[in-house]
Amino acid sequence: MTAATAPGSAPGPARPIAAGGLPILEMVGVRAGYGPIEVLHGVDLAVPQGSLVALLGPNGGGKTTTLRVCSGLLRVNSGELRVAGRTVNGISAHELARLGICTVPEGRGIFPNLTVRENLWLATGTGVSREQVESMSFDRFPRLGERRNQLAGTMSGGEQQMLAIARALSTQPVVLILDELSMGLAPLVVTALYEAVAELAQSGISVLVAEQFAQTVLPIAQSAAIMLHGRVVRVGAPAEIEEELASAYLGG
Amino acid sequence: MHLFLTYTIFGLVLGGVYAIAASGLVLTYNTSGIFNFAHGAEAMLGAFVYWELRYGWGLPAPVALILVLGVFGPLMGGVLYLVIMRGLRETAEVTKVVVTVALMLGMLYLSEWFWNPQKDRTVVQFFGITSQVKIFGAEVSTHEIIALGCAVLIGLGLRMFFYRFRIGVAMRGAVDDPGLLQLNGHNPERVAALSWAMGSFLAVLAGVLLPPISGGALQANALTLLVLDAFAAAVFGRLRSIPRTFVGALILGLAASYVLAYFPKTWQWASNFRVSLPMIVLFVVLIVLPQDRLRGATVARTRERAHVPSMRSALIAAVGLLAVVILLRQLMNDSDITTLTVGMTFAVIALSLTLLSGYAGEMNLAAVSFGAIATMIAFHIGITGHGLASRMTLWGIVVGVAITALVGAVVSLPALRLRGLYLGLATMAFGVFLTDMVLMDSNLHKLPLFHTKFSLFSAGAGINSLVIPPLKVGPLDLHDGTSFLVTSTIVFAVIGIGLVALRNSSYGRRLTAMKDSPAASATLGQSLLRLKLSVFMLSAAIAGLGGVMMSMALGSVTPDNFSIFLSLSLLMLTVVAGISYVSGALAGGLLSGVGFSLIVTTFHNLASNHGSVHGLFSFLASFATVSPALIGIGVGRNPSGWVHDMIGNFRTLRTRPWVLAGGAVVEVLLYVLSLTKVLGHWWFAILTFVVLSLLPMVGQMADPEGRRRRAAEVPLEMVGIDSPYDDDLRLTLDRALGIEELAPVPTSRGDRPRTAAAGGGNGRVAPPLSAGVGDAGA
Repeated sequence: MTAATAPGSAPGPARPIAAGGLPILEMVGVRAGYGPIEVLHGVDLAVPQGSLVALLGPNGGGKTTTLRVCSGLLRVNSGELRVAGRTVNGISAHELARLGICTVPEGRGIFPNLTVRENLWLATGTGVSREQVESMSFDRFPRLGERRNQLAGTMSGGEQQMLAIARALSTQPVVLILDELSMGLAPLVVTALYEAVAELAQSGISVLVAEQFAQTVLPIAQSAAIMLHGRVVRVGAPAEIEEELASAYLGG
Repeated sequence: MHLFLTYTIFGLVLGGVYAIAASGLVLTYNTSGIFNFAHGAEAMLGAFVYWELRYGWGLPAPVALILVLGVFGPLMGGVLYLVIMRGLRETAEVTKVVVTVALMLGMLYLSEWFWNPQKDRTVVQFFGITSQVKIFGAEVSTHEIIALGCAVLIGLGLRMFFYRFRIGVAMRGAVDDPGLLQLNGHNPERVAALSWAMGSFLAVLAGVLLPPISGGALQANALTLLVLDAFAAAVFGRLRSIPRTFVGALILGLAASYVLAYFPKTWQWASNFRVSLPMIVLFVVLIVLPQDRLRGATVARTRERAHVPSMRSALIAAVGLLAVVILLRQLMNDSDITTLTVGMTFAVIALSLTLLSGYAGEMNLAAVSFGAIATMIAFHIGITGHGLASRMTLWGIVVGVAITALVGAVVSLPALRLRGLYLGLATMAFGVFLTDMVLMDSNLHKLPLFHTKFSLFSAGAGINSLVIPPLKVGPLDLHDGTSFLVTSTIVFAVIGIGLVALRNSSYGRRLTAMKDSPAASATLGQSLLRLKLSVFMLSAAIAGLGGVMMSMALGSVTPDNFSIFLSLSLLMLTVVAGISYVSGALAGGLLSGVGFSLIVTTFHNLASNHGSVHGLFSFLASFATVSPALIGIGVGRNPSGWVHDMIGNFRTLRTRPWVLAGGAVVEVLLYVLSLTKVLGHWWFAILTFVVLSLLPMVGQMADPEGRRRRAAEVPLEMVGIDSPYDDDLRLTLDRALGIEELAPVPTSRGDRPRTAAAGGGNGRVAPPLSAGVGDAGA
């Protein structure tokens, strides 16, 4: 990987959203839902190359559904999903994964009945060797190295999330999609995880993060969007969004 | 020593073949979550195809092997997955079981269709019988060495495949979370299809290896039940661990071999015992297995939907059923009446399944076997009088039913500690054990203390059947066909109403809670133990009652009347018709009791009467035997059952009463024509069927708006759950809440188009609630 900055360093200067050139991942007027129930009523969202976009908003706003569409787990009913400018509506999740869109789903994105190493091996579907995956992950998270032959389901919540992120990163993704990284974890662990994410974003990977707790992710984001009732109601720089958050959550 | 060595080697070879079969079973169960009851049937088909290629077409053995193992096996598995199993995601366990059971029955019928079971077929060992090696003085045939070698290779190969290869690791990952596997760039469909192809390959391999070891004769039934040996081996590894499955298979093989070697030939039950050994092992292992933890995450989120009928509609339906049966009786001759009575008793047995599977989510694969117990008890203590004057007493039936309930409690022991599928396996083990061991017992036994002689299942003279006279109590005499038919209908109706009442009671709600989430139910303070035990006893009692009545209706019963295949096809047809409904039990029971056998006989009769089109009719007869299986396989697409669908379709006709009235007039006309013998009975049945199925379509054509109105008829609490939450429903909700008259509340963005008004299209002003739902907080 590229040389990482010292841990804990402040995130780099916020890049202007449009200046990054072509958005690597883009949703245009996307409508999607579960069976007859529509959840997204026309979502517009763009993740510029090499930037970290935070998707904020209260419960039930459609954040997870948006990410499911981005990762290919949910079909688009109308509108367009674009990767690097090309429409990829209807592409299946595993094909999207091979294109370099890597998702860490909500909860613990691991296989509990496989060992840590076996969990990592499953990332080799995208063309990285086993040795590479293991060395990359264990360098980044030495704790995982100590537990390489343990069943993943027997590790602590933070370690499981570490494993999920480590596996996602070792695929050398173009876009990393993270859903509710903080769910059920201690604040200290969350801070550590987001530091790792910030480093990644600086190394040039585009990141899309959905998060309920805005304070944890806004400091490292380059831009943020607020989702409400299945629509993106506001996009802007983190500082502006922070001011509007309260009104968004309170439905004002 | 020589004997010991010979039989040990034989046991190891047998165990090796069991292990090959069992590992295939474990493989598919773990990668797709579907426990494949058709695994033995796949082995059977493979063996028959091999026989056809090798001996029918005379191909050399290597070519035949390559074609069967390399092409037929994997292809069958892959196709099964893509066509059938893929559609089984998010269905209840009982639906999955039924689909594979249907597949098993279908394959069995198919093989009987292609390969006449009356004809002898033998498969010779590889390299001939004379090709032998001596190991420490014991003669071992080359075939046996090959079989053992295959088992070892497959054991090692699978171990490597699952732990060293990425696709193998991915297969194990697919159990945990197929969606996550996809996010990592694997195609779960391909992984699952591959596992089914491998499972089918292993089944076919076992099917090719086994027949020469166990005598050489090719028998469809025996090979199909190979699946039971595989089950028994697989439960050793708790259906998960392949190494432990191998150990279990070896234990089974050795035990069977030693029983053959060392049990005295004078023990007549020894051969029955050897056959039922896997069942006994399966049952014991299930009981001593460590307890499964209740998992909070396994809330059943299934596609099955069931409405709870009200007591009023249940009463109306019961009276209607009785009226229909009495009307039909006028059209029938004596043998028809007996047939319908048998069908009705089957429906009673099916009710036990509605209670157990439909309400409580547990499984019983041997419902008819419980009928056998009640029949045996009633035979031994309930009959008085001799010859034509002999009759069954009420006392005999009551005691028979009570003891069946107790046996039910014993059989459900594994279920009290384990999950649904294990109960299914335990009941199947019990059913096969009962037919192989108890019902085959026609010898006289002496009770040492009481100086009495008895035999379990014999009317005397070693004949393997029981004669059961009908019940006569007070003025009620079931020797008369009509009163028997009416009585069995009333029994069905009373138990049916009882079940609806039970479903509406707090006990019924507790059962449903247990079905949906055992963990949540336990944390709310329910005693799962008491619930499961009580519901299983009640269900066994109902099955016992149905079984005694069936025996009385038939007059004389043999072990074949209680075969496991009968129980399986009853369960299958009940699930297809809708196992959560009393009406489903009626349809399933009637179909399995009389329906298909009647159709098959009709086609056979037609075939022998019409020489010119003989081929066509015998094809139709064969097809009719396979058709229940096809229907069963189709249940994956509509897991809630077709009876409910049909009733739902008729509900739409409420808005067009004249269509209903027209249908009724046609039906009455048909009935009168049939009663006056202008119309044959079969024509009456066929035309009635046509009228019943066409009526909703006629209604639909005459009233295209009906669908809309039907949507509005969904009960309010189900709005948005059972049917899509659309604008019409919003209007209905508003109307029901009585806020129609209120003026629309101005929203913050009044210029936004109102979805309700736009979608409703009837010019009404959008009511306030719809606006509130659509635009809340905007």
